[in-house]
Amino acid sequence: MATITPAQGELQVRTFQRSPLSRIRGHLGGLWGRPITQAILKAVLTVYVTSTITFGLIRLMPGSPVEIKIDELMQQSQMSYADAAASASGLFDINLNAPIHEQYFEYLGNLVHGNLGNSFLSKGTSVMSIILSVLPWTLFAVGTGLLLSFVVGIGLGLIAAYRRNSLLDHAVSTGGSIISSVPGYLIALLIVLIFGIQLRWIPITQMRGAFTSGITPGFTPEFMGDILFHASLPITVFFLTHIGLWILSMRSATLAALEEDHVTVARARGLTDGRITTAYVGRNAVLPLVSQFAIAAGAVVGGAVIIEQIFVYQGVGLRLVASVNQRDYPLMQGIILMTTVCVIVANLIADLLYSRLDPRIGRAGGATGK
Amino acid sequence: MPVLSVRDLSIDYRTRRGPVHAVRDVTFDLEQGETLAVIGESGSGKTTLAVGLIRLSPRSARVTKGEIRYDDGKRAFDVLSLDTERLRRFRWADCAMVFQAALSAFNPVITIWEQFLDTGRAHGMGDKHKVHDRTRELLDLVHLDPNRVLRAYPHELSGGMRQRVLIAMALLLDPRIIILDEPTTALDILTQRAIIDLLRELRGKLGFATIFISHDLSIAAELADRMLTMYAGRIVERATVEDLFYRPRHPYSVGLMRAVPRVSGALGSVASIPGSPPDLIRLPRGCSYYPRCPFHVDECLQQDPPLLRVDTPDHEAACIRWETVAAALGSDAEAPVAEKLA
Repeated sequence: MATITPAQGELQVRTFQRSPLSRIRGHLGGLWGRPITQAILKAVLTVYVTSTITFGLIRLMPGSPVEIKIDELMQQSQMSYADAAASASGLFDINLNAPIHEQYFEYLGNLVHGNLGNSFLSKGTSVMSIILSVLPWTLFAVGTGLLLSFVVGIGLGLIAAYRRNSLLDHAVSTGGSIISSVPGYLIALLIVLIFGIQLRWIPITQMRGAFTSGITPGFTPEFMGDILFHASLPITVFFLTHIGLWILSMRSATLAALEEDHVTVARARGLTDGRITTAYVGRNAVLPLVSQFAIAAGAVVGGAVIIEQIFVYQGVGLRLVASVNQRDYPLMQGIILMTTVCVIVANLIADLLYSRLDPRIGRAGGATGK
Repeated sequence: MPVLSVRDLSIDYRTRRGPVHAVRDVTFDLEQGETLAVIGESGSGKTTLAVGLIRLSPRSARVTKGEIRYDDGKRAFDVLSLDTERLRRFRWADCAMVFQAALSAFNPVITIWEQFLDTGRAHGMGDKHKVHDRTRELLDLVHLDPNRVLRAYPHELSGGMRQRVLIAMALLLDPRIIILDEPTTALDILTQRAIIDLLRELRGKLGFATIFISHDLSIAAELADRMLTMYAGRIVERATVEDLFYRPRHPYSVGLMRAVPRVSGALGSVASIPGSPPDLIRLPRGCSYYPRCPFHVDECLQQDPPLLRVDTPDHEAACIRWETVAAALGSDAEAPVAEKLA
C-alpha cells in the first residue's frame, strides 16, 4: 500500500477541487438542471435518430431514382436499356454508387449546416426551398381545421358536461365518439364521392391546388377568399376528424373538474355561475387539453398526406407522395425530417406551455422552493 | 333574537334503493355571536346539515320540509325561498363556510389574491384597492404575511396556512354567521391548536355567530357555548357545553363522551360504541339508537322519542329513559362522565 504524506494528500485534494473539469461541470450543472435544456437536448437526439433511420429506410427501398427514370424512358420513348441508362445518368448529378457510409456522412454534414441538399429531379432546386413553398399551405389548412375543432369541441364538451345525461349530452358525446372513430381519409373520400360526384354540390375540380392560378397573391380579400375556398375541404376534414376527440376529452375533464372541492367552495363563496364556469371549471379542464392540442398539431402535419392526395391540395403531403414515386431521396428525407421536427417542436411547445399555464408544474422545485 | 332559526328541516338523498333520510326534523336556534357545536359520528348528518343551511347540497339532495330563517335585525328571510341570485348573494356575505377540505378549497391555478378578488367582486366590491386593503388586514388578523400569501398559488402554502387563508376569506364580507365544517380535521395536532386559538380570538374581536361541526369533542368543548348531538340525522340532545359534558342525558351522548381518551384516565377507560348507525333508508321503528343502547327497554320501540325537557329548560334529550341514564351517572356533577363510567 502506498503511503501518502500529509502534504501530498493535501495537494491532491487541492488539485481535485480546482480541476477545470469539475469547474465546467459546475457551470453546466446549473444549465443541465433546467427542464428546457433537457427538453432541447432530447429533441436534438430525436432529430438525429429519425434522420438516420429515414436515411437507411429510403436506401432500402427497391428502385433507385435512376432506375425509375430508365423504366420511364424505356416505356415512353421505346429506348433500349443502354440508351435509356445513358440518357438517364446524364440527368442526375448524383453518385449513388458511392459507399453508403460516405453518403451518410455527407448527408449528416450537410444537415448540420442546415442544408437538406438539392432535389434529384428538379435540378438546382434546393429541398429547403421546395419545402418552404408547400409547408405554409399545409400549416394553414391543418392549423385552421385543428383550431376550429378545438374551439368548437371544447365549447360542446363543456356544455355536454354541464348538462350531463341530458338529451344534448347524449347527442353530442355519441356523435363525438362516432365521428372520432372514422378515419379522415374516409371522410375525405365520402365528401368527394357524395357531394362532389353524386350530388355535384361542390366543384371539387376547381378546388384543387392551394389557389386558383392567375390570381395575384397578396393580402387582398380576393386572394384570402380564394385560399379559403381551396383549403375549405381539407379544413373540413381536419375539423371533423378532431372535433370528436376534443368533445370527449373536454367533457370528461369538465366532469372531473366539477367534482373538485374548490368548485364547491367557489359556489359557497357566492361567485357567479359565469365566473365559476370560466375561471374555476373551464380553465382547469382545458389545461391538459392544451398540450394534447400541441401534440395533435404536430402529428397532423404528417397525417395530412392522404387528405391532400384526395383533394389534390398543394401541401407537404402531396409533395411527399410525388417524391416517393420518383425516389427523390433528398426531398423524401427533407420532408420526413421536417415532419419529425414539427412533432418535436409541437411537443416542446406543449411542455413549455403547460408549465406556463399550470403553476404547479412550472414552479415545482423552482425559486419558491416549496 | 336568533340570527338563524332552523325549523323541522329534513333533507333526503335520492338513491336507487330509495330516499336516504340524512337530516330529519332538525330544529335549533343560533343566537347572535354564539358558537353552537354539532357533534356526532360520521354519517350522522352533520355535514349534510351544514351544507344544507346554505343550500349547497349535492344535486341528489332534496329538502323535503322545514324552514331556515335568517334575521340579522335589518333583513329577515327564509333561505329556502331565495331565488338563485339572492341565494348567491346570501352565501358568504351573510353566511360563510370554512370547509373540512381546506387543502383543496382553492383553485390550484390562480393566485390567492385573485381568489380574494373574485370573492369580493361577486358581492359587489367593485373597488380593487378596497378589496386589497381589506384582504391585507384580514391576513394580518389570521397571522399571515400578506406580501407572501397574496402572490402565492395555493400549493405553495402549507395546510395550516391554507386553512388560515380560508378563514380570512370567510371574513372578507363580514358575515353574521360562519359555518365551520370540521376545520381542523386534516391538520396536525399543533396546527389544530393554533387554528382553534385563532378562531376564539377572531370570534372575540368580530362577534360573528358560529356553527361548529365536529366529531372531535374536546375541540368542540373548547369553542362552543351550546352543543347539539346528532344521531341518524336527528338531534338527540341539546345542551350547554357544561351540561353535555357533566350531565349528558342521552345514551348516545354518554357513549360519545366515553369514546374520548383522557389524559388522566387509564387506557381501559376508552370505550367505543358497539354496532353501527342504522340504515337511513329503512329506519327501524322506534328509537333509532335502540340496537346500540345499553339502557333500552321494549317501550323504546314504540315511537322515535321527541326531544324531552330534562333537568333545566335549556337541556333537552330525545330519550324516554333519561332519568335512568341520570341515575346511572349519579347526581354528582363534579367529574366528567367518562371517569364515572370507567
